[in-house]
Amino acid sequence: MSEIAAKAPARPRRRLIVSRFVPYLLLQALIVIATVLGLQLLQPSDPDDFALSGFSLREDGTTRPVTLPHFTSSRYSLADPPLYTGAFAFKNGDAAWSVFLPRFSNAVEVAINGVVVLDSRRDANANRPDRNTPEIAAIPSSLLHDGSNEITVRLFVWGPLKGFLDTVYIGPDAALRPAFETRTLLFVTLPVVFSAWQSILAVILAIMWLMRRREPVYGVLAAAMVLGVVQAFMPPPVPPGTVSRLASVLLASAPIESALIVVFGVLFFGWRWPRYGMLLFVPGLIVFAVGLIAGPPLPRILFLLLGIPTVGISLVLMAGVTAAAVVRRQDAASLTIGCAVTIVLTCWIHDMLSVFEFVTNERTFVSRLSYSAMLVAIGAGLTWRFARALNQVDSFAGQLVARVREAEERLKASFAREEARARAAALANERTRLMRDLHDGLGGQLISIVALSERGHEGATITDAARAALKDLRLVIDSMDDIGGDIMLALGSWRERAAMQLRPHDIKLHWRVATPQGLPLHPELRPWHVIQIVRILDEAVTNAVKHAAARHITVTIDTRDDGEGPYGVISVADDGGGFDLDGDGEAPDANQTARGLRNMRSRAARCGAVLDLSSDQSGTCVRLQLPQVFPDSDAAAG
Amino acid sequence: MTDQGETGEAITILLVEDDAPTCWRLQDALVKAGYEVRTAGTLGEARSALAVRAPRVLLTDLRLPDGHGVELIRETRRRFPDTEIMVISALGDEESVISAITVGATGYLLKDAFPTDIATTVRDLVAGHSPISASIARFIVRRTQSSSEPPPGPALNTAKLTPREIDILWGIAKGFSYAEIASHLGLSRQTVPGHIKNIYRKLEVHTRSEAVFEAVQQGLIKL
Repeated sequence: MSEIAAKAPARPRRRLIVSRFVPYLLLQALIVIATVLGLQLLQPSDPDDFALSGFSLREDGTTRPVTLPHFTSSRYSLADPPLYTGAFAFKNGDAAWSVFLPRFSNAVEVAINGVVVLDSRRDANANRPDRNTPEIAAIPSSLLHDGSNEITVRLFVWGPLKGFLDTVYIGPDAALRPAFETRTLLFVTLPVVFSAWQSILAVILAIMWLMRRREPVYGVLAAAMVLGVVQAFMPPPVPPGTVSRLASVLLASAPIESALIVVFGVLFFGWRWPRYGMLLFVPGLIVFAVGLIAGPPLPRILFLLLGIPTVGISLVLMAGVTAAAVVRRQDAASLTIGCAVTIVLTCWIHDMLSVFEFVTNERTFVSRLSYSAMLVAIGAGLTWRFARALNQVDSFAGQLVARVREAEERLKASFAREEARARAAALANERTRLMRDLHDGLGGQLISIVALSERGHEGATITDAARAALKDLRLVIDSMDDIGGDIMLALGSWRERAAMQLRPHDIKLHWRVATPQGLPLHPELRPWHVIQIVRILDEAVTNAVKHAAARHITVTIDTRDDGEGPYGVISVADDGGGFDLDGDGEAPDANQTARGLRNMRSRAARCGAVLDLSSDQSGTCVRLQLPQVFPDSDAAAG
Repeated sequence: MTDQGETGEAITILLVEDDAPTCWRLQDALVKAGYEVRTAGTLGEARSALAVRAPRVLLTDLRLPDGHGVELIRETRRRFPDTEIMVISALGDEESVISAITVGATGYLLKDAFPTDIATTVRDLVAGHSPISASIARFIVRRTQSSSEPPPGPALNTAKLTPREIDILWGIAKGFSYAEIASHLGLSRQTVPGHIKNIYRKLEVHTRSEAVFEAVQQGLIKL
């Protein structure tokens, strides 16, 4: 059961891979074929009428006839270079003649009838094995004479690549020049254009990265482009070079650059860069380090052994990354980059086949050119994506403003509703509380007054009941006031009322506040807490008046702290006769007293206070210990 | 027992109260204490009584059948600056007491006060002691603290109160006696009632001192 469940999601995924990956692979195959065909078609045509391919080669002391194009062995010494000697016919009266060498590696020195007319070593760019720089040189007419003339070509080779000399063309300058121009355009001008383009994109991408540090993809691509530009304009690491060490360090640029492109691909398609991915930079760094330490030719050999394969691996990785992105996303960006990578990879394989002479062609290297083109395409694509993102942000911002306004309206409406509801609830709560408070005191007292007056009672009892009612009314009104959590303010009013109540009975009220600030502040204090506390104190005073025959009542207000925060203690002590706490005594109103005590206890419990009562012959003391924090709701005990 | 003024004459009181039983009750208590009491049930009666002779003390209810006691207080204060004015209140609530203070009253009397308390209060007032309750003191000091938002209840200008006066009001609001307040603040016990009288005067919207000040400003009086 569970096995089926586990397999179920795998099947559509496999189907997805098949349905997307196979067409992609077929498309890439088509692109490979198109690239190969394109490379064949783009091969510049040379003026075959003036080709000179029969030469005799003197190399290492031996002379043998060879046919151009010709590969010669790799070597590391510039002394005694291979010397090609050939002959060509010249008829006086023709226009100016030139000698045209479409492809050679690494450098040539051409002499006509023993006079040197061309030395490519002076042209740093011409000496780069990764470029396909052509050379042309006008032959001074004074050098030529009717009939057979001799041409000698010294081929300077520096390893590890083999030397190569393509067919040499000698003929009227007008006939040779167009082929030279075409090659110059393709292999000299175009790379410069690409490099310039890259440098501009590098600046743009670097600025983007500087402004958006959390998107390293721009920075990586900018770094790759900067490396590419530097590499393109630096002289190659050849013996005549004046800064050969610096140049040999720059050999490392190609593998590092390709590794950067893989980083770019991984980041661009939203993967996490794996930690071991940094291994990809190791070959480039080794070449770099060796270039710093050792002079040529070691860096060049290492470059061939490490750098070139790294470029290949990077391209394959990049192809894999883009293929996966295509399968996963099916978007234009991944498809375009995927196709571009395939083209570059094809060109790279083409170059490798050429280097190792698996295919005999004219040793035209195209991977650098195609790679530059790819970088430019990627940079342009990124810029396009950035612009589109800006547009999206604009429209998103517009939508957002509208949505926020909408939400604001809704919120306002709901807030107003909520406020009205809360107000109504608060009002209802307040009414309930007020009703209960009035019911507890005033209501009962008024009813008692009605009953007393109906039974014809005279004076004193009715007066007492009415006074109690008025006192309670004042208490209820007072408790509604906001006292800011300071119980002392409520006690201040209570003191006045109590003093007024006690004066006719000739009882002295002593007021003792133990600490100058009174009681601790209670921000959570609510009217219902205050009213319970004051009613307890009222009850204590009333008991002292009615039952204890006291002469003095002492109210003590104190603040204690047992280490868990301060709390207040209010005690009401009288010097009366005391009473029996069990309530079964001989006092006629023992039941009433017991009820009063029960009432006081339940009121204290409602606001989280503790009531202690002690009574003996010397008097009664009611001790009310207030809580550190008053309870939120009086419903719990009420 | 009779209460005599400085001149030896009996102190005259004008009692303005429309509820007859309450009026009798207060009158009994005051007459028993030796005061000479005239009564009025309406604003009109009170005015004609004032026209005859200025009383030493005016005791008035606020709700009268033909007008509001505040008007009577204002008129009396203007015409007879030496008359002590007290408002009679059922509950001693801020609404009635403060509105009376702002037009010139310097005390209040609860309608249900015990007869001895009634007499004592009037005597203290004549002696220069204005009574003030904890809740009124609380109301005033809270107004001194309130910020931009005007709190509910009658308007009150507390800007002229000194910190010492505010401290005294705090003490009263918290239930301390005058003696306790005096010892807390390092004052003589006798000065506290004077401070309270000052507080009442400062809360009056148009005090006499202000009138003098204005007169000086306008060049009517030369000091």
